[in-house]
Order: sequence, then C-alpha cells, then structure tokens
Amino acid sequence: MELKFKQGQVDAAGFKVRYWEAGNGRPVIMLDETEWRNTKLHEALAEKYHIFTLEIPGTGDSATNTESQSIGDLASVISTAASSLTSERYTLIGTSFGAHLAIWQAAQSPDSVEALILISPTAILYQGVIAGTTAQEFHDSLFAHAENAQQFVALNPDVFAKESALKCRLGSGTRGYETESKFADIHCPTLAIFGRNDRLVSPEAARVYREKIPNSNIAIVYDAGHCIVGDRPEALVNSVVDYSEHWETFIVGHQSGLINP
Amino acid sequence: MKASLFAGMGYSERHKFPFTWPVPPVYADPAISVKSYQEGMDECSLAEDVGFDWISFSEHHYSGRIPTGTPAVMAAAVAERCKKIKIAVLGHLLPLNNPVRVAEELALLDNLTNGRLVSGFLRGTPNEDQVYSVNPAEGRGRLLESMDLIQKALTEPQPFSWEGRYYQYRTVAVWPRPVQQPFPPAIVGTRSDDTIRYAAENRLGLGVSFLSVEETAVITDKYHKWCAEAGWTPAPDNIVYRGSIYVAETDELATEWFEGLMRSKPGPNIPLRRTVAEAIQSARTGGPFDLRGLVAGSPEGDVVGNALGINFLGGPDTVAKQIKEFHDRCGVGVVDMPFQQNKVDHNGVMKELELFGKEVIPQLREF
Repeated sequence: MELKFKQGQVDAAGFKVRYWEAGNGRPVIMLDETEWRNTKLHEALAEKYHIFTLEIPGTGDSATNTESQSIGDLASVISTAASSLTSERYTLIGTSFGAHLAIWQAAQSPDSVEALILISPTAILYQGVIAGTTAQEFHDSLFAHAENAQQFVALNPDVFAKESALKCRLGSGTRGYETESKFADIHCPTLAIFGRNDRLVSPEAARVYREKIPNSNIAIVYDAGHCIVGDRPEALVNSVVDYSEHWETFIVGHQSGLINP
Repeated sequence: MKASLFAGMGYSERHKFPFTWPVPPVYADPAISVKSYQEGMDECSLAEDVGFDWISFSEHHYSGRIPTGTPAVMAAAVAERCKKIKIAVLGHLLPLNNPVRVAEELALLDNLTNGRLVSGFLRGTPNEDQVYSVNPAEGRGRLLESMDLIQKALTEPQPFSWEGRYYQYRTVAVWPRPVQQPFPPAIVGTRSDDTIRYAAENRLGLGVSFLSVEETAVITDKYHKWCAEAGWTPAPDNIVYRGSIYVAETDELATEWFEGLMRSKPGPNIPLRRTVAEAIQSARTGGPFDLRGLVAGSPEGDVVGNALGINFLGGPDTVAKQIKEFHDRCGVGVVDMPFQQNKVDHNGVMKELELFGKEVIPQLREF
C-alpha cells in the first residue's frame, strides 16, 4: 500500500512550518533530516499512527532561519507547531539534528511528549561538519556502505550550506554540555538508537544517554552508519515501531519460539 | 617464541571409533571418559610444569576425538589446576553460539583466571554447521556479526539493545567485566579474506591452522598488509599457528612412528557422507548441488574427508627448525600443538611433552 502524505503548513512563533501527515491513530511528531523525510520508517509508522513530519525552520526549502538564537528557541517553535497539529500527547521522534531538538522539546514540554525516540542524536560527542566538506562528501560519510548512499540524494549545496550554518550557529556539536544538562529533565520513556559504524557520533555517546536520562534504553544497530534508515531500514523500523508500541517494555520478548505445535 | 598445548582431551579408546561423524554416543563408556579427561588434565599440568606458555581448548562436537563441545567448561576446570599458564579458548565456534553467552563465558573465565585468558573466534569446520542446525549459508555473516557483538558486550558499561542481522537482544549487560581491559586478547581463526581484514581493522589477532608454511604466509602477508593500512603492527602473540606434532628423541624414531601410522591407513579426520559434505559446501558457497546426480555417481556408503597430516615431525632439533620457519616466514609468535595423535596414548603424550619442554622450548626462546 502506498501511503499518501498530505502537505500542510502551520504558524508557530512567527514561522510558517511545513509538515507532511499520513495515517491514523495516536499522534507521532517526527523531526527529520531534510533528505530522509520519506523513508520506510515513515511508511511503517503511518500504517499504525497519525504521523506529522515537520520541516525544521531553516532547513530544506524553508527560509534561512536567523531568528532562533539557541537550540532551545528552535525547539519551542517546534513544540508550538506540534501543539497546533494535535491536542493529544504524542510520541516524538527525532533524527540526527532533529533528535538534538527533540531532546530540548521533550524537556520543555513534558506534558505533551509521552515517549521520545532519538535516532543518531547529534546532541553530544558529535564532530559536526568539518570545514570545507562538500554536500556530497558529507552525504557519503553518513552511510556504512557506499551502495546505500546512492539510494538517497545529497542535499543541494545551497541547502547544505544554509543548514550547516544554522546548526553551527546554534552550537550543534560544540555545546553538548548544555543539552546534556537537560537529560535529567526528560521523564518520558526514551529510546536512543545509534549505528554501530556511525562516523559522526562517538560510540561513547550512547552510554551517556543511558546514564543520564532516567527512563531510557539505548539500541545499537549493527552494520549501520549515521543514516540508519539508509543502511539497515528493517532493523530501524523494527526498533522504532516496537518501542512506539511498548515503550520501555519493548525489552520483553513477544515472538513465539514454538516450531511444531 | 611461545609454545601452546592444544588440549584435545581425547577419549582414550578413540582408535576404536568407526569412520563416521557424528560418532554415536554409544561408543562413550563413562568410566573411560572420566579417566580420559583426568589424563588430559594431567597433560595440561605437565605442559605448565615443563614450560609451555599457553594451554588451548577448542570447540568441537559430537565426537570423542576432541570432546570439548563446551570449551569454557573445560578451560575453567584446567585453570583451577594450572595457576600460571595462559588459558586460551581457541575458540568458540561463533555461528553456532549465542554471542552474548560467549561474551559471558569469556568474561567469567578472564575473572576466574585473573586475566590469563586468550580468546578465539572461529567459524568452524563444515561438519559443525550441522550442530545446532545452523544454515551453512549464514555462517560467514553470523561470524562477522558475532565478533562485533561480543566486543561490544565486553566493553559497554551500560545496558544496551542490539539490532543485528542475525541477532537481536533487547537487553545486554554482561557481568562480570573482563579483568583485561578493554577485553582479553582475541584471535580470529580464519583463511578467508573478509575475516582476515576484519581482524586487521579491529586490531585482533590471527590464527591459522594446519596449513603449510607457504599457504600460511599467503594469509599472514595479507594480515600484515591490512594491519599496516589500519595503522598498527601486530605483536608476536597476535599470530598463532596451530599444527599437529609428533616429536621423538631422534628423527629416525619419529619417521618410524609416522610410517607405522601410514601403514595403519588412518581414516578421514572428519568423515562425512559425500552427499552431506557437498550439500554443506554448496550452501556455504552458493554453488550448485545435484543430489540425485551425486547419489548416482557414488558407491554405497561413500564417505569423504581428509586424514589430518603431521605438520611438525622429527627429533627436537628438526621440530624446532620446522617451527622456526613459521616464525621467520609468517611472523608466528605462538605455536599451538595437539600432541594427541593417532597411535599415541596418554603415556606417549606425556613422554613427548617432557621431551618438548626439555629440548624444544629452550630453542623456541631463542627466536
């Protein structure tokens, strides 16, 4: 079944935030990297949930964002936009820089976020974009296997420059301690997922999330780089859907081992 | 150079086994089994006393020739007897095992031995793909993923989930942590390029078994090259060669034993029906398999398999020279040797160990 994503726009704190929605069920808000907004993960979630994928102001086709002065500022914009889209408590899923924002959003809006899923979060121990790196080089570094990189299109150089400038200005990759101080304020069930071969986020990062976010689990996806949905889509879908459904009880086995009843 | 006893723990009446694999358990008399393990442990004690550096154990199944299907259990028993020597599990057959369980066994052994453990990661011989019903086509992938997961499990200080291709665990939190940090030395036993490269890129050791010097050099040359590309140089202990041995007081006596062995026409080391052997090989390589064609072209009861040769044969000086070739040409730093050969009983093994310790080990120390 091919899902239809309906595009819309919502006003939030002076920004016009575009979004794409699909599916029915409990609400899920997704903050993705520009080039990963329509993936197998979105399709799988839309089969069970009402998902809203938001375009982070200053990314993708949106205007250059010079208004937001911090990650927290930008997170509050997203939080306002999400509140306009649903009055229910929602599952918040952020990927990469979107996960960095999601951490702040979950800490700022504990009454709205019922579960948090962070995919390759760049909030701490992130090396950032090395000066001089082209959009294509950066794109290629996101995958464990070159053939997987070819399944996605690298960002347009202008968009890449715009997004890199925004992330750099907001301190992504350089001021992780500020975000880390927010970890203790996240009380909803939280899953942080990392690719085993992520070249952008240190493998040391995962354990910090587990240590400092009170009700958290970490998952390591074997043979995946930073773009887990590109390298191991089935494994990512499995973890995210399972966690969305069962929260911290996803550690309890449900699959039958019965072979010949 | 260091010497390691490959402790086979063979059932003493193994020369009476039929040429089949598996060997039916009906051939195992518990009284003989108990005595055989005790004799094997006596061999380990003597090896430590005469100057061996390591004792190794290997996972093999469904036969009394090397009846250590659970090598960690055997290693734990010997570690209590032998208090100083390195205890090497070379190794676990990873495609057959739960990798988290392997990590737990290694961590526990490293604690029980206070940091004397050396570990080994292997795929296993084709017959062992039948053990626990593992699909031979998945062996390579399972091995690679298991190595990754075991290293993660031994080093990660927080509980984690693992989303693999072949393994999924929602909670991994291995206790105890290994004594040797970040984890005990690990040897990857392999002849395959992808696994050699994995060992090099992950700064793991390399193990090669039962090949000639020339064949071994092809593998170790690749390993050295890929280690250099990964920015490191392996230490002597990182390269282990396992070769079978018969050492006697003189070359003539060793040759006499070997000729007697050949006259007895030893059967295949791991005998398999041709159809089964071909089916496993086909599954491993993805090649064609024509069952009915094979049956039509095979005599009744057709069994295949190679007799295990002897890599080191001779008096002490000759054996030392043969081992030195592996050191000089291949960079081998540890030679791991099964002394339990066909037609050699427990007393014979003890005699050889004494001789090796007295006459060969001092020569190994020179290089």
